[in-house]
Amino acid sequence: MALNLLPLHTLLIFVSIINSALLSSADQDSHPYIWPLPAEFSSGEETLSVDPGVSLIVAGDGGGSPIVRAAFERYMGMIFKHTYGRASSLLARIRFLRMVEYDITSLNIIVHSESEELQLGVDESYTLMVSKRNEQSIVGAATIEASTVYGALRGLETFSQLCAFDYSTKSVQIYKAPWFIQDKPRFAYRGLLIDTSRHFLPVDVIKQIVESMSFAKLNVLHWHIVDEQSFPLETPTYPNLWKGAYSRWERYTVEDASEIVRFAKMRGINVMAEVDVPGHAESWGVGYPDLWPSLSCREPLDVTKNFTFDVISGILADMRKIFPFELFHLGGDEVNTDCWKNTTHIKEWLQGRNFTTKDAYKYFVLRAQQIAISKNWTPVNWEETFSSFGKYLDPRTVVQNWLVSDICQKAVAKGFRCIYSNQGYWYLDHLDVQWDKVYKTEPLNGIKHPSHQKLVIGGEVCMWGETADTSVVLQTIWPRAAAAAERMWSSREAVSKGNITLTALPRLHYFRCLLNNRGVPAAPVDNWYARRPPKGPGSCYAQ
Amino acid sequence: MRGGSSNIAGVLPLFMLFIAGTISAFEDIEKLRIWPLPAEVSRGGRRMRLSEDFKLVTEGSKYGDPSGILKEGFDRMLGVVRLSHVVSGDRNSSGSNGSALLQGLHVIISSSNDELEYGIDESYKLVVASGEKPSFAQLEAKSVYGALHGLQTFSQLCHFNMKKKVIEILMTPWTITDQPRFSYRGLLIDTSRHYLPLPVIKKVIESMTYAKLNVLHWHIVDTQSFPLEIPSYPKLWKGAYSSDQRYTFEDATEIVNYARRRGIHVLAEIDVPGHALSWGKGYPALWPSKNCQQPLDVSSDFTFKVIDGILSDFSKIFKFKFVHLGGDEVNTTCWSTTPRIAQWLKKHRKSEAEAYQYFVLRAQKIALSHGYEIINWEETFNNFGDKLSPKTVVHNWLDKGVVEKVTAAGLRCIVSNQDKWYLDHTDALWQMFYANEPLENITNPKQQSLVLGGEVCMWGENIDASDIEQTIWPRAAAAAERLWTPYAKLAKSPDQVTTRLAHFRCLLNQRGVAAAPLVGGGRAVPYGPGSCLAQ
Repeated sequence: MALNLLPLHTLLIFVSIINSALLSSADQDSHPYIWPLPAEFSSGEETLSVDPGVSLIVAGDGGGSPIVRAAFERYMGMIFKHTYGRASSLLARIRFLRMVEYDITSLNIIVHSESEELQLGVDESYTLMVSKRNEQSIVGAATIEASTVYGALRGLETFSQLCAFDYSTKSVQIYKAPWFIQDKPRFAYRGLLIDTSRHFLPVDVIKQIVESMSFAKLNVLHWHIVDEQSFPLETPTYPNLWKGAYSRWERYTVEDASEIVRFAKMRGINVMAEVDVPGHAESWGVGYPDLWPSLSCREPLDVTKNFTFDVISGILADMRKIFPFELFHLGGDEVNTDCWKNTTHIKEWLQGRNFTTKDAYKYFVLRAQQIAISKNWTPVNWEETFSSFGKYLDPRTVVQNWLVSDICQKAVAKGFRCIYSNQGYWYLDHLDVQWDKVYKTEPLNGIKHPSHQKLVIGGEVCMWGETADTSVVLQTIWPRAAAAAERMWSSREAVSKGNITLTALPRLHYFRCLLNNRGVPAAPVDNWYARRPPKGPGSCYAQ
Repeated sequence: MRGGSSNIAGVLPLFMLFIAGTISAFEDIEKLRIWPLPAEVSRGGRRMRLSEDFKLVTEGSKYGDPSGILKEGFDRMLGVVRLSHVVSGDRNSSGSNGSALLQGLHVIISSSNDELEYGIDESYKLVVASGEKPSFAQLEAKSVYGALHGLQTFSQLCHFNMKKKVIEILMTPWTITDQPRFSYRGLLIDTSRHYLPLPVIKKVIESMTYAKLNVLHWHIVDTQSFPLEIPSYPKLWKGAYSSDQRYTFEDATEIVNYARRRGIHVLAEIDVPGHALSWGKGYPALWPSKNCQQPLDVSSDFTFKVIDGILSDFSKIFKFKFVHLGGDEVNTTCWSTTPRIAQWLKKHRKSEAEAYQYFVLRAQKIALSHGYEIINWEETFNNFGDKLSPKTVVHNWLDKGVVEKVTAAGLRCIVSNQDKWYLDHTDALWQMFYANEPLENITNPKQQSLVLGGEVCMWGENIDASDIEQTIWPRAAAAAERLWTPYAKLAKSPDQVTTRLAHFRCLLNQRGVAAAPLVGGGRAVPYGPGSCLAQ
């Protein structure tokens, strides 16, 4: 099968010509059923059939990556789930080729960089073209072109959303072809937090979550591993720590965590680990009671002991081997220092240093930051650290918002980077926040200066685990996380203009049903309270 | 375990040294962590370690596994056993710590036939020895489907050792002899009130195997939508919610094959004449009139031609011995208020009740002509039980008292009393599911033998892809043990099995099934942070 692969710049020129010709005529209120909406796209009026035996043709220095090959296989499984025996489709093709000629028989994936390094700001842009192979068209079939394998993954997701099973012909069709899509994310950091301390989430469930994130082009799994309630992760340097797990069943080995990181990387998703110190750490003391101020007053971690910081250093050293992402979350929120005041040896230590409890809190956070930095990590901290002693934070610190709506505004004004997670909108455990509230909240609100805007690296929806275990976690996340995902991926103009009941809601219904069709138990879009069952019988698209 | 299994030690003198004796105290049973509880179990106090290349061997088996049912089942079993943790420990060196290596599973099946027939022998015997030397576990079964149950039990014996990072079987040697109490252990799903995508149905089927359920009752069509392609009447699926909330004929075949390879029958239902409004979207002639659309027009031959077409198409893909013809909740008002039908009633001197009987019996005959035996909801029995074909199985759903009457009349029965076994009743707690005894008040052995089993029903009014798993599980598991385990070994009080069921629920979670907490009603969410085992 001969194929002329054009260099990137040729394709881009071609696309921009098409764009200027067609985009202007696109009806703004009838966006294509793609979620999140691509940066630029144009479509036509043709319907193309896709060969169930569609072959992958790769090019470029990174085309041969196993990440691309594995993603291709995953997506073919999703696209052709009604078409049986794809494994033996060679035979079927030989049989069918005489009768049926498919328009799309190959998927070309061009990846220019061979680097598979996945870090914050990795180039996720891609170009996707789908058109009939004929004399008029210089690009036959479907072509994804990207700088990195991760851009190619995003392109594959978009391609899969163009494909629809047609029940009358029993074949997979692409409507409104030819398609020309040029796409890239608005924000580099598009996160989802999971909490494995309040409830243990089995490895397979975390994988289901990660897989579902890739459908909405989210790219950071913020793993809030440990909290007061349980310490599920193995820490070889301090092997008693996971005695703080709920039970011997509810634990992750080092290898389990590495497997999650590997699985996420295959889908272009970084894993940012968190140990939340000094406040949310009571469970550490189950294995090492010395970390508690006293047996009767167990939180925050004992600020006076070198042992406390030795343990943090040990945990971070162990985690550094598992988590290659450059960001590491040190928590630092909701620190109630009463136990420090009320425990004799700590009180004496404070007096000896002439420290208030607030000074001690600052001392703790800054010392933990230095440990993270010494391990070549960039620290992320919850916003209280910034609001309490912002000017002392390491300048590399990324501040994560959750409480105050204008904290990012203040943090970026001081030159810090910021992640937006306003609890009123983007805390998924707040069940009374409907999809439109999630959709409408804007991370850059009130931030005018472009140099400040650049410091907002993105946002994150947070699935705190107090009432979310395996049985409800996915339906509490979806579909609302998708609303935030589009806010963070698509252009600000596209998500802010017009009536979202027309521009977004029909597509979100469609995307929710797509999640269901892929086995993800996304809840009805029109729920007033998240994760409620459907109110009565009806079509997926109408609920 | 109230005596019973003392003979097992006798036939296995080699392992006598390690056998702690058959299990007698109830607390010991609860330590077994096997759900549903097997018929007979004995165990010891040693441990074995699964080798890295844990193998399936079938020497001496009469079953050639021509289509790979056993091999696939074995691979799935290993898959779920290895799902929850990365196995990275040293798995092959001989045990310095006293745990011997288990090299694989030796499966011996005595029947070469793998037709999944109703009432097929589902028994198995599983022996995990405990020697110093590497060895194979033994699984014997009459049919490959019995062997699949044995594989499920085996998977529940496996345990990930967090320190050594290997998979172990504790409390070896094990000898488990097992068979189901009832041959029909069903779960109903409803794809009319909400469409359930293919992957969701497959996941439900897969999860059924964990609890050894064996019949998926597929309530395909109802008033709201008609999602299935019927080649004989291609407009019927115009009654689907949308052009893509549909199942092709090939999809249905795929579901049946997927289930069959897991030992699960698919019972297809068309619920006539009452729950069939959606049929008329494609063929309005099936409605009494445009504004009175249900039940199906009893006066028209076309109605029965369509039923014949559907059942003819069914018979090509639904190979189960039974087909379900519904027959419940028939409100015949549209028949008497539609002049054409009122005239027909008058001409044939039929009351509405007689027309209902006529419809059901005529539909029964069509089903029989396609080689099916029939299942009907209990109203058909309550209204004209003596007229039903003797090949009818009456499906209870109202009051369980009907079971006694049905069996006294010599008909077979399936128990699904709604107060205890309707999963959409979220106020029915798992304890109620567990305690619901199909043979309650039935003492005559002949009548007992007419109770084929039971079924839990997941009606779909408030169930879609987002909440089906947690509404089914763990309550369906409570019923599954009632239907599988010998009566004498069932807990007299459900509270005695709480720990073991909690463990099974967490096992489902580990396997990626969204089973809900035990605490609270159906589909309850966790009330606060805590261990899976404690919620």
